[in-house]
Amino acid sequence: MTEVYSIDPLIIKTPYEITYKHSYGKTSKFFTSLSSGKLMTTRCEHCKVTFLPPRADCPNCLGETKWIEISGKGTIHTVTTLYFSGERFLKDLPFQLVYVDLEGVDTLFLTRLKTKDMKKVEVGMKIKLRISKELEWRSSDVWAEPYE
Amino acid sequence: MPKKVAAVAGGLTYFSKARKDKTQEELAAEAARMALFENDINLAKDDIDGTIVSYFSDHFEDQLLFGSIIQDYLGFNPKPSVRIEGGGATGGLAVRDAYAHVASGLLDVAMVIGFEKMSEVNTAKGNEFIALASDTDWDFPIGGFYSGYYALMARRHMEEFGTTEEQMAMVAVKNRNNAQHNKFAQTNPKMNPFAMKDGGKITVDDVLKSPYVSYPLKRLDICLMSDGAAVLILASEEKAKKITDTPIWITGTGAGTDAMRAGDRPRTVAGVPMLPHEKKEWYKKLEYPGVHSFRAGRESARQAYKMANITNPLKQLDVIELHDAYTSSEIQTYEDLGLTRYGQGGKLVEEGVTAIDGDLPVNPSGGLIGAMHAVGGTGVMQAVEMLWQLQGVSGKFHGSDKTQVKNAERGLIHSHAGTGTYVTATVMER
Ligand SMILES: [Zn+2]
Repeated sequence: MTEVYSIDPLIIKTPYEITYKHSYGKTSKFFTSLSSGKLMTTRCEHCKVTFLPPRADCPNCLGETKWIEISGKGTIHTVTTLYFSGERFLKDLPFQLVYVDLEGVDTLFLTRLKTKDMKKVEVGMKIKLRISKELEWRSSDVWAEPYE
Repeated sequence: MPKKVAAVAGGLTYFSKARKDKTQEELAAEAARMALFENDINLAKDDIDGTIVSYFSDHFEDQLLFGSIIQDYLGFNPKPSVRIEGGGATGGLAVRDAYAHVASGLLDVAMVIGFEKMSEVNTAKGNEFIALASDTDWDFPIGGFYSGYYALMARRHMEEFGTTEEQMAMVAVKNRNNAQHNKFAQTNPKMNPFAMKDGGKITVDDVLKSPYVSYPLKRLDICLMSDGAAVLILASEEKAKKITDTPIWITGTGAGTDAMRAGDRPRTVAGVPMLPHEKKEWYKKLEYPGVHSFRAGRESARQAYKMANITNPLKQLDVIELHDAYTSSEIQTYEDLGLTRYGQGGKLVEEGVTAIDGDLPVNPSGGLIGAMHAVGGTGVMQAVEMLWQLQGVSGKFHGSDKTQVKNAERGLIHSHAGTGTYVTATVMER
């Protein structure tokens, strides 16, 4: 039965659901390495650039990149605390997002920051990336925590 | 050599959180009717040679190939039509594409039809659809959405340059209060029958006390989500002179791009692409663009200024309509457009330079914060607003003379997608 929301004007409700079978392609290794506790990403030896998120192909020279391990240690480049979000993350509010500047990585990495005291978080603070024990095979499997 | 191209007519709908009274195609017809019949022009509907249709998302209406429905509904079959999509910059890209169609001689008279109907899903779902226009492998699954991304950039701008929440609030007050004299504006309940009930004037204190969405951004720092449409008609020189006594020429246009994930952008010391009036020594220590500035905005402005022979934008432009998705991004955009040095954008609004009675009014319409953001319609709305400003008829259309910038001869429109992934800048002149 069609659910009617209003008569004048006539407004009907239409639900929508879909499942994608999404391939991570050549960056699958990032996720599969997490199960052995390793943070892997890619580097272009020709351009001397390390990317995180990984890229199979270097955007500068279009050569193929190589996998390397990174420490996951770094600092907060910028931070925000969210009090609103897209529909599927409303249950997590409030939470913090950070761009982190990681050792041996040339890009900034966007991730969640998990900490007991959100008020103490500052730009420049030391962090380390942590890996989830229950992998969901999403970028949310890693996050940053304060690290001394 | 490209042909000379002029804007000759424009039309807008009333903008609203939810225009439940009309379908998307009926909204487009409302704006098209105004463009054809309420501008002082000598042009029949049949004189339109083709259309450029501008809308962002197929998700909001759960309908693919909506461009075809529009073309049919407005009665332009079997003439040529193309759909343009580029996130928040959809409208700016569509205006630029229409310019290219006319400049090349493919069309003599082109109609740009921009619209979005965002109200048929709830606000959190709408935010999620917009967030799908960020990297869905990496940035979205951690809870990323646009107000979060812009907050991260704003926070870095504060860290780098000392920009304050008060300066951001001043942008909100300027744009929201300008909108109180524009009858189309969603925040104007006195003049727009479809406006939000809690609209009206605001103060810096109101903005600072509004709830945080994503620190440092608060509810009133963030643009609207709208239903509505905007229509612009462009013509070749020969046709334009027959259509109107006041053609407004497009004298420069530029487009720039940057990485979808802002974190992937370079941080090159002294990497600023320079504008003619700038000095290298200003930026010799600045890491650029990083996440504090929009390289695509700078690049689009650089191209548009070069084409329009603008060497000092603050002096040579009389009015700007720019993409104020956030108060912070209006401040960042002042810098990208070279209205002031990188880092000084906050001071520009603080000094009143961009106020309606300032040296260079920005967003006299109210912009995305005060008037509307019906994504595919937004960049087209800016072009319509600029046409009316430069023709000196803003008062007639807005229902109040207070938005008209006196003796405006040359203006710029700026359209912006993602976290600065696609940006266009277009110069229009009397
Ligand atoms: Zn390379």
